[in-house]
Amino acid sequence: MNETYDVVVIGSGACGGWASMDLAQAGMKVLMLEAGAHISAAEQFHHQCLYDLEFRGRGRPGLLRRYSGTERNYRIMLDKEENPYTTSPETSYRWSRSRCLGGRTLHWARAADRMADYEFKAASRDGYGMDWPLTYADLKPYYDRVETFIGVSGEVLGLPQFPDGPFLPPMPLNCAESIFTAASKALGWTSTPRRLAQLTRVHNGRPPCHYCGNCVNGCDVGAMFSTISSTLPPALKTGNLTVRTDSVAAGIRMNGENRAQGVTYIERYSLKPVDVDARFVVLAASTLENTRLMLLSAKGGLANSSGLLGHYMIDQLAGGGVSGFLPKLKGGPARLDDGKSAGITIPNFQNIDKTTARKDFIRGYVMNATGGQTEYPEYAASLPGYGSAWKKEVKSRYVAQARVWIAGGEMLARKENFVELDPEVKDHWGIPVVKIHLTYSDNDRKLMADFQQRAEELFRKAGGETDPAMRRGGPSGFPGGPGSPDEASAAPHAPLGSAIHEVGTARMSASSKDGVLNSFCRAHDIANLYVFGGNAFPSTGDKHPTLTMMALAARGCDHLRENAKGRLS
Amino acid sequence: MPVSRRDFNEVFLGAMALPGFAEWLNAEPRDSKPAFFSPEDFEALESFTAILIPTDQTPGAREARCAQFIDFLLNASAEDPKMQAGWRNAMSTLRDLGYHSAGPEAREKLVEQMAGQQHPTFLFIKQLNTFAFYTSRAGQIQTLDYRGNSYNATFPACTHPEHKVI
Repeated sequence: MNETYDVVVIGSGACGGWASMDLAQAGMKVLMLEAGAHISAAEQFHHQCLYDLEFRGRGRPGLLRRYSGTERNYRIMLDKEENPYTTSPETSYRWSRSRCLGGRTLHWARAADRMADYEFKAASRDGYGMDWPLTYADLKPYYDRVETFIGVSGEVLGLPQFPDGPFLPPMPLNCAESIFTAASKALGWTSTPRRLAQLTRVHNGRPPCHYCGNCVNGCDVGAMFSTISSTLPPALKTGNLTVRTDSVAAGIRMNGENRAQGVTYIERYSLKPVDVDARFVVLAASTLENTRLMLLSAKGGLANSSGLLGHYMIDQLAGGGVSGFLPKLKGGPARLDDGKSAGITIPNFQNIDKTTARKDFIRGYVMNATGGQTEYPEYAASLPGYGSAWKKEVKSRYVAQARVWIAGGEMLARKENFVELDPEVKDHWGIPVVKIHLTYSDNDRKLMADFQQRAEELFRKAGGETDPAMRRGGPSGFPGGPGSPDEASAAPHAPLGSAIHEVGTARMSASSKDGVLNSFCRAHDIANLYVFGGNAFPSTGDKHPTLTMMALAARGCDHLRENAKGRLS
Repeated sequence: MPVSRRDFNEVFLGAMALPGFAEWLNAEPRDSKPAFFSPEDFEALESFTAILIPTDQTPGAREARCAQFIDFLLNASAEDPKMQAGWRNAMSTLRDLGYHSAGPEAREKLVEQMAGQQHPTFLFIKQLNTFAFYTSRAGQIQTLDYRGNSYNATFPACTHPEHKVI
């Protein structure tokens, strides 16, 4: 007799954490399966300076070929040897993942922007693709619920294309951000402090940010939203949640009544397969992992009567941008500029309605800008000269660094961008991996070209001097070694990069012919299978997707609870 | 038996009064034998890095022990033979240019010439030396005055009116 739960939730990221909390608080017995390791903030998240680390943050040479991330955070990323994936030859997209308790919430960018009706109903406006089968009004109560719980700092703007939420006070601007704000205003563009799931005061028992700038390495106090800081503690408090880490989901088992019977997972280290049964199965293992599981669970894919499972994969457009210096700030005193890891946001202002429509491309993008001192002066090695004069110039520019980057650019949903199971390659547990086919459209390139032009315009208006040698985030390898700046600069220029905002592949639709999920993220074909994550997105919009994924998960949980009435064990 | 604060102070303060103790306490770690480079190459590298990033009002490559870090890193780079070979070539080039046998002034002159030519070996050493320096405490904190990675009650807002207008 298999263990039986009301719900099995596969995955512990933003959506898995939310679903587990929501359903456990509703009295359902929930099993959360996480493929990766248990993570404890108290044990694993600390402030570490680069000089505290044996290899100054870059890791032992060779180590980071196996793991994603850096010497500081590779433990909350992924073992690439255990978890390969493949791509078609024309695919430049690179899939960034985490396999650990909390998933990507442990190091996400925390951007929490709401999508708007001009994104949900874009197809009706410009004739491309498919509208979402819901409106902003449908999702607003769930955005409110999620934001009220996780805490989002921000400023009320009253812009219809950038809907407001119940914000905590925004974070103050540093000097570079003040300059970019003035430049943006001078160009007639609205800007605002980035809306981040990062607390500016005590909220729901969590402390405010202490501005260390370490978000990407895991917040030691839980001031940024993550599963382990926010949703997991109240979920565990109910006594209704069982968390099983190091448990690799291998497939969903069906019964003879076209319902999900349960899940088979493999114990990560013993390799032993285990079956668990559940009245409901929630996939929340990340967009592409969810689709992989559905492809693995039935010939031709589970819940795939539409034939669209795996199709319409979308990322957001990334790459490009401008880096350099703001002369106004050169030679100024050292300040804690990067302590909040934030910046300003310039909401999209094009293709919102007829008056802002562009003739050369459809859809839009959001820009970000920041500057000031950073942990490592990425520009220093390429700054000409040496000696004391060179040191002085490095110091002078240190506080004057500046950059403009794309927060999210809408990539068009195209059927020919898809994932499938690789017929040959399997992971460490013998499970077939996904093969990704993703290319960009002419519209994608035109949109990015427009962003690049606007980013340069903003930079110029701020009085900035560009420095092409500066790269956002810095090199992943040691100078002179693999992944080094010299290698990167020798590589062909790739203006379109991966945004880690992959969505689609099981889109929601009003009709089961047009998609895999309904507007509550339940499979059209299987009444007790819910898929939370980015899978449901028919289009990606220009906002970071996590907040919308969580709002959809919250709405889906309401639906699941209604669905379950009278069926609880 | 537990050591009381008084016991500790007596021993510690007594030691502080001994000639040479304070210097010993504050001294840089004793140089160890290089693990990757030959002693001659290491001496040349250490001097080259110190010319690139000299000690002035703030610490330089010598205080940051840049050559030691480069030696440590390369010794740990067995999986990266290309990187190791690059450094052996760089040191061989320096030797061929006469750097190893040159005196301090001639070495300064040679570095100046290499910088003027944008010599690949100059740029190669400069890259990793820059990394080694600005990721050290001497470079990051004592030279650049980096403020992050710390606990702060508030974020320091820009209060400059001149930054709020274009």
